[in-house]
Amino acid sequence: MNKRVLAIVAAFSLALTSVSSGCGREEAALQKEGGKAPFTFRMMVNQQSPVTPDPWIEELLEERTNTDIRIQWVPDGSYNEKLFTAMTTDTLPEAVFMKNQATYELLKDAIRGGQFWEIGPYLDEYEHLRNLNPEVLQNTSVDGKIYGLYQERPLSRQGIIYRKDWADNLGLSAPTTTDDLYQMLKQFTINDPDQNGVHDTFGLSDRNDLVYGAFKTVSSYFGTPNNWGEIDGRLLPEFMHPSYIDTMEFFRKLHREGFINQDFPVTSKKEQMKRFVSGKAGVYIGAMGDVAFLYDDAVKTNPDVELDVQNRIKGPTGDLGIWAIPGYGTVILFPKSSVTTEAELKKILAFFDQLMAPEHANLLQYGMEGIHFHRVEGKANPVEDRALLNREVRPYTGMLVGGPETTDMLEAHYTLDVKVKAEEWIKDNHNFIIHDPTAPLDSDTDAEHGVRLREIITDATYQYILGEIDQVGFDKAVERWKKEGGNKIIAEYNEAYQQSK
Amino acid sequence: MKSQTAIDQQTVIKRKMRSELWKRIDRNKLLYLMILPGLIYFLIFKYAPMWGLVIAFQDYQPYLGVMGSEWVGLEHFRTLFSDPWFWTIFKNTLLLFLFNLLFFFPIPIILALMLNEVRLQFFKRTVQTMVYIPHFMSWVIIVSISFVMLTKDGGIINDLIAMLGFEKINFLLSSEWFRPMYILQVIWREAGWGTIIYLAAIAAVDPQLYEAARMDGAGRFRQIWHITLPAIRSVIVILLILKIGDILELGFEHVYLLLNPMNRDVAEIFDTFVYTTGLQQGNYSYSAAVGFFKSIIGLILVVLANRLAKKFGEEGVY
Repeated sequence: MNKRVLAIVAAFSLALTSVSSGCGREEAALQKEGGKAPFTFRMMVNQQSPVTPDPWIEELLEERTNTDIRIQWVPDGSYNEKLFTAMTTDTLPEAVFMKNQATYELLKDAIRGGQFWEIGPYLDEYEHLRNLNPEVLQNTSVDGKIYGLYQERPLSRQGIIYRKDWADNLGLSAPTTTDDLYQMLKQFTINDPDQNGVHDTFGLSDRNDLVYGAFKTVSSYFGTPNNWGEIDGRLLPEFMHPSYIDTMEFFRKLHREGFINQDFPVTSKKEQMKRFVSGKAGVYIGAMGDVAFLYDDAVKTNPDVELDVQNRIKGPTGDLGIWAIPGYGTVILFPKSSVTTEAELKKILAFFDQLMAPEHANLLQYGMEGIHFHRVEGKANPVEDRALLNREVRPYTGMLVGGPETTDMLEAHYTLDVKVKAEEWIKDNHNFIIHDPTAPLDSDTDAEHGVRLREIITDATYQYILGEIDQVGFDKAVERWKKEGGNKIIAEYNEAYQQSK
Repeated sequence: MKSQTAIDQQTVIKRKMRSELWKRIDRNKLLYLMILPGLIYFLIFKYAPMWGLVIAFQDYQPYLGVMGSEWVGLEHFRTLFSDPWFWTIFKNTLLLFLFNLLFFFPIPIILALMLNEVRLQFFKRTVQTMVYIPHFMSWVIIVSISFVMLTKDGGIINDLIAMLGFEKINFLLSSEWFRPMYILQVIWREAGWGTIIYLAAIAAVDPQLYEAARMDGAGRFRQIWHITLPAIRSVIVILLILKIGDILELGFEHVYLLLNPMNRDVAEIFDTFVYTTGLQQGNYSYSAAVGFFKSIIGLILVVLANRLAKKFGEEGVY
């Protein structure tokens, strides 16, 4: 009996000490800075790294900006759940991070319902926030109003990564047209590019993703618009453009002739990469920046491997083009339920304004100079210790506002030549970018049923490529899409489009 | 006056009954205490969440909450029934369940009977452990292993088929192969685990019965047929009813992992449909309505199965 009582007492006292130590921290924070108490607010951030963040950088930031930020780290996987729970129970913190575009889409109804501060009119008052790109802000807007700060993403990273050593073996030069690309994939399959005397290679390693896999990028080469494009002054979805059919035909041919992995509709990204780095496939189409770790992996098994990146592929029309994302990743919103006054909002915006100052942006992106990175030729070169970066820097990278285009932060330094080249190509993409005209527009039907309707087209596209249906079957799918809500989506986007002009 | 006394009498009886009840509770208070955690569990985790079902009749918006959202009546159910996919999904769900019942359900019973006949204890234990290990692997692993074996791009099975001079088979990307693949994976993962309960039931059979049967000259198969099977019949029936209750729990994860654009016409079931239309798009009300509909079918089937069991003289689950 005595023992049990003791155990209970022990448990209680433990709980008590943890509570009181929590109070202690608060008091200390208040006493810091002498007279002026730091400005306190909470934010909810998605935790991308698997390890608990070390508050090192956070404390440094708090000291420099005289704030006391309480970060609620939420694991990436359960972020949406947590977000909606907080919304339902009215416990949203002062600053809420929308971890990506998809999450942001889900909140548009709430934004329309007046749950969040419109911040557009305030941005010009701030030294750094005013530098945010108006075009990207426009893409985040809801009914033309701006509600969130955003974190930058390069508009387009898409391009081709291929085995330079194989191309050299076969005397192929870098492809510049879709026909060249086809030839390269063909030669890589039938002509024994690794010269081992066995027929064991194929051209393109692709995966179960029509967007971030090869398909959409190749469709750009063929001149397909990005999601939506004009035909005779009317916005129509990409799959109603003839160039989309051309792209499907291109892939159908690749699949029939065996120049692409036969099971690509069910191949994961990991498997896709494995096929490329293990020397089974010679071409990888996707984010060109991936070349760095593709090379790191490939060189482990084959020290002679040489990779190259390429873009500016001309299609049958002879025009250049590459699709782009709307230019933002994370969006930061400010709920009216927790930020009750305009003065408070301004204080919080001032904090995020300071985050865009070069020294803070560098701190969030690269960490402390000398500890987390070194300067090489005026660029930031991260240290080798990945565990250290994961623990102390990477969690905070997600808090960055803006990015390289909008702040004066350091550029990243890369040691691998082909990675440097890839980054140049990514910049070059800006010269012939294809924007999604519907990014700043809204369609209720699309928001509500878009994903499911899109599935009809995605399925039909795969079925066409695999030869299960032909043009007639595909047209039927498009008709179904139209009938089940597509017609409404077209009408809604066109109406919004005319208004925005 | 007369009616007054009648009422008085009634209240007296009521009071008596109540005190009787209290007495009974008081007498068995330890038993009730023991059942309490279970009751609390069901109240908190099974009954309280049912309150959430109301969102199936609302146009639920997370920021408005359950109290503030607009009521829409049966609109979501109407949308569901008028969805052109509805009957396909309904059919797929029922068919998968039927296949489950036909091809998977008997396997653990047969396996248990076979294991029971093994004389060598060591061998029996080893086999038993080995067949139920897959149960502890997640579907992701089971499906990935199948994928690696079945893919046309260097999978062992297709390489073997090609080596024997046949055409490679499109296991992963075809409607025809989806159901066999699904059932085989279910058997692979769950068959061994399912045997445990049957083995326990078999162990409880009185050995004298077998002795008597042997005396009468019954062989092994006769013993199985006339003693073991009848002895575990009620266990089989109960498990069958429970299984039917789970009709629409075909394993979201499993089906979702196998689902792809080429087999959607046979592989889309209620769970995956709820996921893509409801959760991925934030239509919580609609997914709640679909889930609700699914549970109602499950409930109806359990009641029917239970009745049927009782008709055949079994006890049933309630």
